[in-house]
Amino acid sequence: MNNLAYKLETFRDDYTFRNSPDAIRRFPFPFDQDHYMYSVNIEPHKPGAPGSVFEHTFDIDEHYVAECADKALTLAQDKGRYAALPHMMDAQWDFLELTMESLARDYPDQFKLSKEGERWTWTNLPLGIEDSFIFGDASTLPMEPLEYMGRQVQGDFVLLDQREGTLFADAGFITSQADWSLAFDIGMAWHEWHGPVPQVEKMGVMERALKFLLSLQQGSPVRRLNWTMTINPRLDTSPEHYPQWGPDKLKVTAENAGRKAHLRVELQGLFRLPRSNAILFSIRCYLMSLEEMATYPRWIKRFHRVIRDLHPDLLEYKGIKVYHAPLMAWLAPHDDGEELPLGTQPE
Amino acid sequence: MSHLNVIVSAIADVAEGIRHFTLVDAAGRELPGFSGGSHVVVSMRAGARTYRNAYSLLSPPSDRSNYQIAVRLQENSRGGSRFMHEQVQVGTALEIAWPVNLFAISRVGRKHILVAGGIGITPFMSQAHDLLRTGANFELHYAFRSPRHAAFVDELRRLLGPRLKCYDQSQGQLLDPAALLSHQPLGTHVYVCGPGGMVDAVLDTAARLGWPDAHVHHEEFLAPPVGEPFAIRLAQSQRVVEVGAEESMLEAMEAAGVDVPYLCRGGACGRCELEVLATDGVLEHHDHYLSEDERRAGNKIMPCVSRAKCTFIELNL
Amino acid sequence: MQHGYWIRSKPVYTSLAWQYRAQAHMVLAHGEAGRAVLRLYQQRLPEQPVSVLYLVGDEEADYTASLRALAGDCLLTFTKQEALWAAFNAALASACMGTRLYAAGNEAFLWQVSTLAASHGVLHADIMREQPASLARPVYCVHCKTITPHVTTNIAVCSGCQRHLFVRDHFSRRLGAYMGLMVDAEAPGEVPAAEEIYP
Repeated sequence: MNNLAYKLETFRDDYTFRNSPDAIRRFPFPFDQDHYMYSVNIEPHKPGAPGSVFEHTFDIDEHYVAECADKALTLAQDKGRYAALPHMMDAQWDFLELTMESLARDYPDQFKLSKEGERWTWTNLPLGIEDSFIFGDASTLPMEPLEYMGRQVQGDFVLLDQREGTLFADAGFITSQADWSLAFDIGMAWHEWHGPVPQVEKMGVMERALKFLLSLQQGSPVRRLNWTMTINPRLDTSPEHYPQWGPDKLKVTAENAGRKAHLRVELQGLFRLPRSNAILFSIRCYLMSLEEMATYPRWIKRFHRVIRDLHPDLLEYKGIKVYHAPLMAWLAPHDDGEELPLGTQPE
Repeated sequence: MSHLNVIVSAIADVAEGIRHFTLVDAAGRELPGFSGGSHVVVSMRAGARTYRNAYSLLSPPSDRSNYQIAVRLQENSRGGSRFMHEQVQVGTALEIAWPVNLFAISRVGRKHILVAGGIGITPFMSQAHDLLRTGANFELHYAFRSPRHAAFVDELRRLLGPRLKCYDQSQGQLLDPAALLSHQPLGTHVYVCGPGGMVDAVLDTAARLGWPDAHVHHEEFLAPPVGEPFAIRLAQSQRVVEVGAEESMLEAMEAAGVDVPYLCRGGACGRCELEVLATDGVLEHHDHYLSEDERRAGNKIMPCVSRAKCTFIELNL
Repeated sequence: MQHGYWIRSKPVYTSLAWQYRAQAHMVLAHGEAGRAVLRLYQQRLPEQPVSVLYLVGDEEADYTASLRALAGDCLLTFTKQEALWAAFNAALASACMGTRLYAAGNEAFLWQVSTLAASHGVLHADIMREQPASLARPVYCVHCKTITPHVTTNIAVCSGCQRHLFVRDHFSRRLGAYMGLMVDAEAPGEVPAAEEIYP
C-alpha cells in the first residue's frame, strides 16, 4: 500500500464515510462460526498476509487522513480525550518510538524517520508534518509524545503501568471509543475499568487475560478482535457525546438498516514497551455498513445468525437491543439458511 | 518465544568468583531497550544438555550497543554457572531471551531504598541508572563479605556518590534493617535482592514496622534443587519424559522437545504453571508463587524449580 | 447502555480495626462516621501513638464530646474541610512509613483522603476505609464533568447541566464518584421515575 489514495470523507454530520471494494475485502470480519461466544482469542501479532489489516504493526488505510481530521475535531471539542498521569512519561516516549519506527519501516513512502543521536526528524507526508526534536525531551515537541503520535496513527491508545500485581490505565488517547470514558477511567486498575463488562461475558476470562498480560514479553506483541455495532459510521461513540449519537439508535428501520447499521470491529494490540515496562493497548476501529457486508453473501448470512442468536445480556451490553427488531427484519431476507463452512474469509 | 543471538565481546573478573560478561548482537545491530531491574535468560548448550539461567542486566538501559551480565560461580553448580566460568570465552555465541522485568521500580513511589547483598547487587545496577535519569529520590545499601567479594563498588561510588552506603562485613559493618526502615518518609518503597537470610530479615522487619506489602519488593531467583529421578506423564500428548536427578522438570521437558512457556526460571513469575492430574508420591514445591492454599490443593506445579518425590507425575499437557 | 450489573470498580468497605503492626496511627472521620472511631476505641488500643482528625458535620450528629472522652489530646477537631485537609497534608509530610491510615465518612470524604494521601505516595490499598450508614453517592456527569454530591436516587438531575442522569454502578477512585449518564439521550424527554435506592 505504497500509493494510498486517501479519501476525503466524514465520520459525523453528513457521514460520507464509505469503504472501497478493496477495503471491504480486507475488513477484519470476526465471526468464524454462526454463533458468537466471548473468549480471550489472543494470538501473536505477527505480520499477516500482504494487503491484510494484519500485514503491519499499525495498519494505515484509505481512511487515514479523514480519521486523523476527525480525531482533531473530537479533541478540540473535549480536551479530556487525552490524559496522562505524570509517571507515564517514559511510556509516552516508548509509544512515540514504536509508532514512528513502525510507520517509517512499513510505509517508507509515506513516513520517514531520521536519527542523529538523540536528535530525531519525523516526516509525515499524508498529513504534511515535519518536526525535529530531541528524543526524551518533551519540551522540544509541540505537545506530549503520546498526544503527538496519537494524532497521527489511526485508532485509540492506552498506556498501562504494571505494579501491585495488576495493570493501571494511566495514560490514554481516546477519540474513537465504543462507549467508555477516559476522563472517568484514567488511573483505574484492570478489574475496575472492566467493571461494566457483564458477568456472562467474563466467566473468568478477565482473570486469565490479566495473568497472561502481566507476563507479556517485549518483542512478542499479541492481538485480538472485539466487536460491537454503531449506527452511522461514527468514530466518536463516547459516553460524553451520548446525547448526540444515542437518538440515532431509534431511527433504524427495516428499510434503512443496511445503510445506517455498521459492524464495528476493534483490532486490539498489546505490546510490552522497553524503557517503561508499561504495556501499550492499541484499539483500531474498522467500520462496515450492512450493505457493504452484503457484497459478500457468506458474511451477511453469518452475521444474521450471530445477531439472531446473541445472548440477551450481550444485546443489552452492546446497545443493540433497541433496534434489534428492524435489524433482524433487514438481515433475515439475506440469509437462505445455506450451511456455511468455518472461517472468516469473505467467500 | 523469540530469542536474540549474541556474542561475548569481553570478559572480566570483578570480584572473587564473579565474572562479568559483555554481550553484543551477533549481527552488529542495536539490542532491544529495557527497563531497570530486567533480566535475560541465557541458553547454554553444553554437549547434549542445554542450561538456561536468568541473569540481571547491569548496563545502563539507555546504552543499546551491548548488554552486561555478572555470573557468580555457584559452589554446587548444576552446570550453568560453571559453564559460564569455564567454557565461555570472548567470541562465544550465546542465545538469550528478550529482556523481562520482574523487579521494576514503582513509578508512583516517592522514595526508593535499594538493599543488596553480595551478587544481589546486579539488578540494582540498571535500576540505579534509571533512577538517576528520572531524578528519583533513592539510596543504595550494599552489604558484602569483604572488599574481595564486592563487585562494582568503585563504579557505583563514582555513579552514586553519597547515595551509596556500603557495609563491609569483614570490618564488622552490619546492615540493620530496623534502623534502615523505621524512619523512612511515607510513600517509600524498599527493594531487596541478596541471600535468603537477608531478604527474609528485610521482609520481616518491614512487616513488623507496618509497611504495607505493596511497598516491599524482593527478587530471589532460585536454582532448581537436585533430587531423585522420576517420570512425567503428559496426559494430552500421551508421552513420558524422564527427569534426571540433576535436572529440573522444565529442563527435562525442553530436552524432550516439549514446548513449555516460561519467563524467570526461578519460581517467581508463575508463567510456567502446569496442572497436576495425578502422582503416586508428593509434590516438592520450591517456588515463591503458589499460595499455601494452592500448595495444599496439590494440583499445580512450577516445573522450573519444583519437582516431586515419586515414580511418576501426570500433567495436563 | 449497561444498567445495574454487579461491578468490580465499586469499592468494598470494611469496619475499621487497629493494625497492630505499625509505628503510628492516623484516623480521619467526618460527621456521623465519628461512630466508627468510637467503635475503633472499643478494641484493644495499640501501643504506638494515635492521632484522630475529626471533621464535624453540618447536619449530622456531632461526636466531638464522646471522641474527646476516649481520645483525649490525640483528638483534633475541625469545622472547615480546608482546615482539615491542610492539617492532614502537613501530617502526611512528616509521617514515617509504618503510619497506618484509617478513614471513615461518606464516599466523597473517603476518596478525598485517599487522593491527598496518594500525593504523598500512599497507595489506595494502604488505607482502611469505613462507610457510615448513608449510601448516598457523589455522581460525576460524564457530559459536563460536574460532580453532584449526595445522590440517593437511581436517577438524578445534574447540578451542572440539569440533564437527568442514570447513576451507573461504575466508580472512579480518582474522582471519588460514580458515573452519571444522560438517561433520556436515546429518546429525549422519556425520563423514568426516580427511585430512592441509595438512602
